[in-house]
Amino acid sequence: MFGTLSYKKQKRLIIFSFLLIPVALLLLFTYYPAAKLVYFSFTNWDGYSPEKPWVGLDNYREVFSNPDIFGVFAHNFAYFVMGLIQNVIAIYFAVILNSRLRGRNMFRLLLFLPYIMNGVAVAFMFGYVFDTTQGSLNLFLNSIGLTGLGETSWLGTEGLVNYSLASTGLWRFMGYNMVIYIASLQAIPSDIYEAAKIDGANAWQTFWRMTLPNMKPVIQLNLFLTVTGALEVFDLPFVLTKGGPAGASQTYVQRVVETAFAYNNYGLASAMSIILLFFVVAVVALQQFVLSRGGGSK
Amino acid sequence: MKRNLLLTFLMVFALSAVLAGCGGNGGAKTGNAGGTDTANTGGRGGSGGDKLSGKVTFLTNRTDMIGKEYDEYVKRFNEKYPDIKIEFEASQTDYNQQAKVRMASGELPDLMFVPDIPNSDLPKYFAPLDDIQFSSELTFKDFKSYEGKLYGITTGNSTSGIVYNKKVFADAGITETPKTWDEFLAACEKIKQNGVIPLASNFKDKWPLGNWVFDMPRIIENNKGFPNERINMDAPFSMDNGYGKAMMLLKTLADKGYLEKDINSTNWEQSKKDIASGKMGMYFLGNWVINQVIGVGAESDNIGFFPLPYDNSGELRAALSPDFFYAVNKNSKNLEATKTFLKWMIEESGYEDFAGFISPLKGRESKLTQLAEFQATGVELQEGEPDDPKVIEISNKAQIDLPAIAQEFVLAKDPQTVLDKWNKAWAKAKKDLGY
Repeated sequence: MFGTLSYKKQKRLIIFSFLLIPVALLLLFTYYPAAKLVYFSFTNWDGYSPEKPWVGLDNYREVFSNPDIFGVFAHNFAYFVMGLIQNVIAIYFAVILNSRLRGRNMFRLLLFLPYIMNGVAVAFMFGYVFDTTQGSLNLFLNSIGLTGLGETSWLGTEGLVNYSLASTGLWRFMGYNMVIYIASLQAIPSDIYEAAKIDGANAWQTFWRMTLPNMKPVIQLNLFLTVTGALEVFDLPFVLTKGGPAGASQTYVQRVVETAFAYNNYGLASAMSIILLFFVVAVVALQQFVLSRGGGSK
Repeated sequence: MKRNLLLTFLMVFALSAVLAGCGGNGGAKTGNAGGTDTANTGGRGGSGGDKLSGKVTFLTNRTDMIGKEYDEYVKRFNEKYPDIKIEFEASQTDYNQQAKVRMASGELPDLMFVPDIPNSDLPKYFAPLDDIQFSSELTFKDFKSYEGKLYGITTGNSTSGIVYNKKVFADAGITETPKTWDEFLAACEKIKQNGVIPLASNFKDKWPLGNWVFDMPRIIENNKGFPNERINMDAPFSMDNGYGKAMMLLKTLADKGYLEKDINSTNWEQSKKDIASGKMGMYFLGNWVINQVIGVGAESDNIGFFPLPYDNSGELRAALSPDFFYAVNKNSKNLEATKTFLKWMIEESGYEDFAGFISPLKGRESKLTQLAEFQATGVELQEGEPDDPKVIEISNKAQIDLPAIAQEFVLAKDPQTVLDKWNKAWAKAKKDLGY
């Protein structure tokens, strides 16, 4: 029945009909809720009543007049630091597991496995690891003779708790970053390595001068994921510490969730979410600017 | 060609209609709700009670009872009312949050618990329950009422106190339950010397601290309206009122090492087993926990319950508080059947004994020995007052979460700064709201 249509029209029709469902789903489940979020941020809706009183920019004013709210970003810094370490380790494993190594698929699988696991399950699991009196980590430290260290309250010491939590994130997401790096390594043509070998470059020189520059766009992507991940951490502290001790591990998103669901202030919480969105955009733009400047001078 | 084009567009529209299906359904539902009102009034006139029929859905947080005790309840209920079908819906972990989402979308079950909303919103969602006849007076009748109508009935009442392992006390040489705070501290010391953790606070989990900050302040003040009187205060938290004193009790226990070794790393599920096995001595929690401790293996005879002596006067007081409140969806298709089931749950199910509550009906004696023991100490049970919505509004605006403040208070080197900080937040929120 389409035979009578011109080729161009057929093509358009096919493109249109194939896109219709995904675009409709995207609009329905991503853009519609996002638009609603923007709308809520201008109201002081309590989360359930039919009335949503319009308050204009009041919510935004309140967020910016309360320095407390932004103070929690300091806690996210730990996740950022751990994210950087995570990327370094991921590149390391990617390079090793990209070489000819016996059983490398097995190792790749083992390192990637944590990423597949459910975040809440991971959090619960690490709850048992970090427990002060009965946790496996402290039991291990005690059994190898480090009894002083084996008394550490991993999740109960201000200043340490965020790094403990972030190291869980490292364990979980390192494999994911690694897989992306491996993919990019495989895209580097092997002839340039051959040429380098003929010129007498050693392993370090090959890595530093060829592998890394070739991976740069992918490193940028992974850093982007790390930064946004660090800004949006929620599940780990929510399950493991509830933000404790005394709010030392509270993250921004956790605060948003509390504002909405514990204090019934959906309007303010929506405004906080929108601000986080702009914050992420700003940080990523800054990162892009810094990194691409380095590339320009080369 | 034109016809073909039309056909393809028709197909495309058919596809989008599938997507739009959800919207269409929603419309149909509201239509239904309008229709049932009339159907119901018809039914009420015609039937004499036993002929009631219909399906009742019940959104419950007791997911552990589904398929077990609830099945047994339904069996007994159906012997009396064979035509009413009861269906249980398991809630996710956060009942309150889930209920609110469903309120917003207008898809409520027939029978549910009242989530935390102001009482003035009750008539928007729930049916008045004044016409249910109970065999004796209900407790906490004014709690979930609005403009003289009753919208919520307590599922059971509880009190808070020290739940303890009797063997731990005996092993430490404590023969009598403490009647004063000093005696209580002495008992803790003896238990600690014996190598047992005196009191399991479950500090990390925050919610187990609720009784210290929700019950104790009004008990210490001997004023059931104390939490609501904060509406007149600009600095509700001070060292010498109920709040400061109650938190100081907890801090004293923490500083003397009578709580878990690391209070920032506690494990709720494990603590129940430890109380049962005698590795830990006490809880300060509601009486609901008694059955849970017995559930993980403690002998019922070995678990005791006494009121926490908060000072050295020798007078004992404890708070009586309602648990969740049942409420009936006002748009329920089977309003009468739902009310019948609710009445049966209160009067005949025996749920309060299973859950370890004091009956919602006044004057009913509990079958739990521990509650009888508690009463025998001569304790005065103080009923609470419903929360003043304005106080809740200020608390929410100031983002005050009392158990979290207690955590901060206990961990702080200088607790006064914690109180000052939250007094400031309170005063600001109160001023912003104009109260």
